[in-house]
Formats: sequence, C-alpha cells, structure tokens
Amino acid sequence: MYVEPGIHLMQGDEAIVEGSLIAGCRFFAGYPITPATEIAERMSRRMPQVGGVFMQMEDELASILAIIGASWAGKKAMTATSGPGYSLMQEGLGYAVLTETPIVITDVQRGGPSTGLVTLPSQGDVMQARWGSHGDYGIIALAPSSAQDMFDLVIRAFNLSEEYRNPVVILADEVIAHVREPVKVPPLEEIKIVERRKPSVPPEEYIPYLPDPGEWVAPMPAFGEGYNMLVESVMHDEFGHRIGTDHAAAERTIKRVYYKIEKNVEKIAMYETELMEDAEIAVVSYGSTARTSLRAVREARKLGIKAGILRLITLWPFYDKIIEDIASQVKAIVVPEMNMGKIVREVERAAKGNAEVMSLPKVGGVLHHPDEVLSVIKKAAR
Amino acid sequence: MIPESEFENVLAKKYMRTEIMPHAFCPGCGLGIIERIILMAFEELGWDEWEKTVFVSGIGCSGWVPLYFRRDAAHTLHGRALAFATALKASRPELNVIVVMGDGDSMGIGGNHLIHAARRNIGITAIIATNMLYSLTGGQMAPTTPEGARTQTTPYGSIEPNFDLMELLKAAGATYLARWTTYHFMQAKNSLKKAVKHKGFAAIEILFQCPTYAGRYILNKPDPRDMLQWFKENSVPLTVAKKKDPEELKGKILVGEFLHRTDRVEYTEKLKELEKRAKGG
Amino acid sequence: MATVRVSQIAVSDKLCKGCYLCIWACPWNVLEISEERNWRGVKKPIATKIENCRACRLCEYYCPDFAIQVIVDEEEEKKLLEVEERYEKPWLRRIEKRNEIVSRGVWWLES
Ligand SMILES: Cc1ncc(C[n+]2csc(CCOP(=O)(O)OP(=O)(O)O)c2C)c(N)n1
Ligand code: SF4
Ligand code: SF4
Ligand code: SF4
Ligand SMILES: [Mg+2]
Repeated sequence: MYVEPGIHLMQGDEAIVEGSLIAGCRFFAGYPITPATEIAERMSRRMPQVGGVFMQMEDELASILAIIGASWAGKKAMTATSGPGYSLMQEGLGYAVLTETPIVITDVQRGGPSTGLVTLPSQGDVMQARWGSHGDYGIIALAPSSAQDMFDLVIRAFNLSEEYRNPVVILADEVIAHVREPVKVPPLEEIKIVERRKPSVPPEEYIPYLPDPGEWVAPMPAFGEGYNMLVESVMHDEFGHRIGTDHAAAERTIKRVYYKIEKNVEKIAMYETELMEDAEIAVVSYGSTARTSLRAVREARKLGIKAGILRLITLWPFYDKIIEDIASQVKAIVVPEMNMGKIVREVERAAKGNAEVMSLPKVGGVLHHPDEVLSVIKKAAR
Repeated sequence: MIPESEFENVLAKKYMRTEIMPHAFCPGCGLGIIERIILMAFEELGWDEWEKTVFVSGIGCSGWVPLYFRRDAAHTLHGRALAFATALKASRPELNVIVVMGDGDSMGIGGNHLIHAARRNIGITAIIATNMLYSLTGGQMAPTTPEGARTQTTPYGSIEPNFDLMELLKAAGATYLARWTTYHFMQAKNSLKKAVKHKGFAAIEILFQCPTYAGRYILNKPDPRDMLQWFKENSVPLTVAKKKDPEELKGKILVGEFLHRTDRVEYTEKLKELEKRAKGG
Repeated sequence: MATVRVSQIAVSDKLCKGCYLCIWACPWNVLEISEERNWRGVKKPIATKIENCRACRLCEYYCPDFAIQVIVDEEEEKKLLEVEERYEKPWLRRIEKRNEIVSRGVWWLES
C-alpha cells in the first residue's frame, strides 16, 4: 500500500505524494498547473490504491473548497497548485482558517506575477502565504529544500494541521518538485502521525468552537456524527452561530485563530543551522535557495571567512527569536531569495538593528549561483 | 393552553436551532417556507434519513436557510457550496447531502460548479432558491432577473436575458429536475422527497417571495401576500404548458417535474468501481 | 358547521413578524389581526373565529417563521411538549455553560 521503508531514488513530487499517503491523506482535489501537475497525476494513480478519493476539479476555487469539504467529512485532505491557482485559493483558505479546518496546500512556486514564468522556480509567494487572504489569521508555512524534505515535511504539515486545526502551506518550488534524490523512508512505526481529536462529550454538551481550558482548539467531529456542526464562514461565536453585534465574541474568535499559531511559534518552528557556532556572517535562507547558500558558506569557510547558515524550514509563523539570537552573535546577515526581497523584511525586523541585514534578490527564474552568494558574504566580511 | 410568549411551531422545536430564532429573514420572506418544505419532507422521510442528512449552503439570504436546522451545515463561500458538497459526498456517499443556494450564488458566481456537479451526476440534492435578484446585497441584477426588469444595478431595465435553470441543467447532465414556487409547498415537498432518494444530481428550483427587493423592484408587489398570489396566478404546470403555444407562456412560471432520468450512473458508484480496479480487484 | 373542534391556534410572540400570510392562506377566515403588539411592535394574528377552523393547517404551511400552530386537542398539546422535551431542551443547556466559561474570561485574550 505504502512505499517500502528504505532508501529510494525519488523526485520531490513523488516524495510528497508518498509522504502524504503515509500521513493519512485520503482526499486530494486539484486542477492541473505547471509545475504542480505531477503531484495530481501521481495522486490520481495512488489515491484509489489506498482507498482514498482523487478528484480533478473544475478549477482551484473548487479544489480548495473540496478539500475543506473532505476534511469535514472526516478525511485528511490536500491540494497542490502553483501561483495562479494559489491566488484563486485565497478566499477558500480564509474559509478554512475561520472554520478551523485542517487542510494541507502545496504551492509549487513559479515565477510571477500573473501567468508569469510557467516552468521556472521562484520564491515569490512567501508573503502571499502569510497574508494572502483578507483579515487577520495565523498560518503555518513550511519550505522544503530537498526531496527528503518533501517527504518529511508533508507528514509534519498534516500533523500540524490536525494539531492546530489550521491550513498548512508547503511552499515548494519547481526545483524541489523535480529534483531526483535519495529519500529515506523510515519504518511506518517510527513515523509520528497525529490523528484528529474527536469530542469526548455527547453532542448536547459539545461547544464546537470552545477549546478545553489551556487548549487552543476544540476537538473536531466529522459531519454525520450527530454533533450538528456549523461550519460558518460568517464571523461566529463558540457555537458557530453568527455573532450579529456581539463584538466581544468576534474578538474572541479572531484572536484565537491568530494567537493559536503565533503564540505557539516555539513549538511549530523548525530550522537547521550549519557552521553557526563561531560564525560572524550568517546566511538566512530557505527552500532551494538554501542549497546554493550552503555551498557558498562552505566556500567562504575555505577562504577563512567565518560564515554559517540558518535554514528556515518553518517560514510562518516567523520565528523572531532565532533571528534575534543570531543578530546578537554575527556582524551581518545575508538573505538570498528568489524574489525581490521578502523574508528579508522579517529578518530585518527581528534583528532589531543588531546586525547588518543584506538582501540578495534574484528574479527571472534561475537559482542564485553560489558565487553570487559568496560575493555578498565576502562583502559583508570586509 | 400553551403559552404563546416563547412558543415555536412543532417543526421548529423538533428540527431547528430555536435559540437563534426568530430568523434573520424579512417579514414574509419565502425562505422560511423553503425551510418548512425541507422539514416537512423529512417528517415524511423519517428521523433515520434526517440523521444521515447534512447541509451545505452558499452566501446570500438563501444561504441562511439550513443554518437554522439542528444538523451539520456548512455555510461556505459565495458560489462555492457545490464544491464543498461534492467532496463531502465523494468522501461519505452514505450521507444525504443537501445544498441550498441562491439564484445568483448558483448560476452567477457559482455557475461553473453547478454545471460540473450536474455533469458528474454526483448524488447531491440542490435546492436553488430563486428570487430573481441578489437580495443580501440589496437588490441587484442576477442571472435570473427577467429582461427589462429594474433592479439596483439595472435602473434602465436589464438588457440581459435570464437563465432557465431547468434547461441549463438538463443540458449539463442532471438527472432529476423540478421547479416550484413557495405557493406550491406540497408539490415542492414531494419533489424534494424524490430528489433525496434519487441516485444522481437532483436540482429543485423554488421561486420564493422576496418582498423586500424582488417585490418592490421587479414585481411592484411589496406585500408577500401579493407575491404568493402572483405565483399562484402566473405559474403553469408543465402538463398544461405542453398544450399551449409559446406566446401564451411568456412571463409565466413553468412548474413541475422537468426531468427524471435513471440511465446515468451516479458518480460515487463509479468511484467505488474505480477503487476496485485501482486495487487490482 | 366545522367537523373538527380546534382547541387553540397558538401564535408565537417570539417569532411572529406580522406578515399575515397565515390570514391570506386561511380559506375559512378564522384569523384576524389583533390589536395588541408583540415585542417587535407587530400586531399578531388572532383566531377570532376558531369555531370555523377545519385544521387544514394552511396557515402553518405558509407561515415563514414557524410562529403559528394549530393545536387540535390535548393529545396534540401533549405531543408538542414531548417534542420540546426530547428534541429541543437538551440543546439549550450548553448555552449557559458557554456563557459561564466566557464570562470568567478566556485564556487566549490574556496576552
Ligand atoms: C466573492 C464574493 N463576492 C461578492 C459577495 C457579496 N454577495 C453576498 S451575497 C451576494 C448575492 C446573493 O444573491 P443570491 O445568490 O441570489 O442570494 P439571495 O440573497 O438573493 O438569496 C453577493 C453578491 C460575496 N459575499 N463574496
Ligand atoms: S431581502 Fe428578500 S430574500 Fe432576503 S430576507 Fe429579505 S425578503 Fe428574504
Ligand atoms: S387550520 Fe386552516 S382553517 Fe384553521 S386557521 Fe389555519 S388555515 Fe384557517
Ligand atoms: S404567517 Fe406567521 S409570521 Fe406571518 S403573521 Fe402569520 S403567524 Fe405571524
Ligand atoms: Mg437571489
């Protein structure tokens, strides 16, 4: 049923499909779009084999609503798309946020704006991932850097989405989706899978949007289980009832869907550091850019420059503290990105002026060359 | 004698979230009658059917209809109810999935999902509440607004022809179709019972009185009683209409059961079969 | 003249919006507009000629607000209270529970 444990040569999009099935994904809805199409194609073959449902929808507006519907049917559900489709999904994403619906959205980023650079990689959607839908909310976004990450992070994404009852976005890019690399698949029993928490009280005592004391989210029943859920896109109170003029209830709801993510950043944030112990220059990087950045940092070390790298795996919620710590240690922080400079704004904010922050933007559909990163590291070291 | 202060009709007590009633609809709004049509159908279908029924709706006054039922309901986004419902049905074919949409919701912003749900012939019951305009936003033109009608966005009269939902869905592949008005609550209830039991995409269009906007702007009948009277006098049963020539039927509402096909396999049945093949069975 | 004796036609203070579709629907002119106004300022319909009522229930069917109910006899009255007890009441208790929890102040608002 699942891919055998062991080491397999896999493409990123294959790894994400196999990982999601192991995570328990049993519904996939999508609409073809380069460079995410392969995920849908693989899903169409694999999903029925594990007893799940694959649906090619009429558009991305339908795709995201479909996975929300499947989630309320009690299934773990995912969609995959790229820039134009991801833009179409923003309203639906907000619906998932406000109704606290666990879903996973994979955005295989391509160059924009608009139809843009159809087949070429980009990291242009990182801010859209945070702020794309209207209103205030928290969101989790993970940035894979390898085929292995695609496998591991999609499992993590499903787990986080269940734990926080929130959409989780995987911000991949064309390079990561198509790279073919060895992927280690651990034995099933070693993989942590978070299952949906169901109510333990009878329906008449259950308050759908009121977490138990100290918890951030309430348990979530599926449709048809007698709990009479209201999955309400209008601002609602703890019952899912429209708030009318009860502003206090609206504040409670909005603040909870915001804080349940933002205040748990310590638990959600994942990152990796390399050569940071004695570093004086830090490269803060994510996604496929982290691969070139690492090479540049190693080159810099060969030249005697004390450079290190922080790879952000969780982009959102943004982990200010790790940047703050690094800023107090290093002289300069270099932020290479395949966009005009987006996450660098967050880095700058979190660094609080304790280190010089240097943006290294790249657009047009090509990765940075390691030498480009290296030259900025050199400049920073001067 | 039962005290009248906090009283609710027995159907409301049995099926509705009385704690959030009276509902938000204007006095005399036909959406309440549509609620009653649904509940009367389930009184006859039985509690077991009710327990496996779930609702999905879009945004619009009509989107509020199922939110008053003590049942699972998703109030989705404007136009997107069928996309949610499609996945719900595909994931849990044993559930009765009933979708309530406005005319603008279903045929305007959600038109794409509507035709594709019909094309798939997925076993959903769609109730389309037609009031010939957009009411939640204050009375603008909808795809069902009659040509020439004045609304808030057609002050000179609409220059656009309107959709005929029955013809649209017939072509798209739906397998059960009926149209009634709130005047015809009994017939609508009977059609709904059939639709819930039907294996395939079923749509029932119910013209309802929106005295506040359609009454005032389109029909010049701001009193709900006049609107119901108008429905009564201007609707023609299909059987009768067949004998009349098209000129006579201009401006009339054709009501009845438009289609009942059993020759197309329902979508989730095909899904099951596909799964068997994928598993090599 | 009527073959049925109807004991009460209840019209809810809480729900009636005064659209008078019930009056429009009644074939036997049982209902009239009363003089008193309810909480929303609406003059409810009242069964002034209840003796004419044939319990056809058209008034109920056309009432969009679930506000009116023909109660034929004690049997029906009893059934109504049973429905209330079994289907409605169990769901009302959780409202107090929510209010109590919320009034104590919820943890996620304290920053
Ligand atoms: C994407 C989006 N666009 C516009 C709106 C505003 N809007 C809310 S309801 C509605 C029209 C409702 O008309 P209809 O579907 O006919 O329902 P009715 O209110 O008439 O029952 C519109 C345009 C919205 N909620 N979402
Ligand atoms: S505006 Fe029209 S459709 Fe909306 S509640 Fe009022 S009468 Fe009903
Ligand atoms: S039951 Fe029939 S006769 Fe009696 S008041 Fe209602 S509509 Fe009139
Ligand atoms: S139809 Fe219902 S809401 Fe309207 S007046 Fe009669 S009882 Fe009141
Ligand atoms: Mg409308």
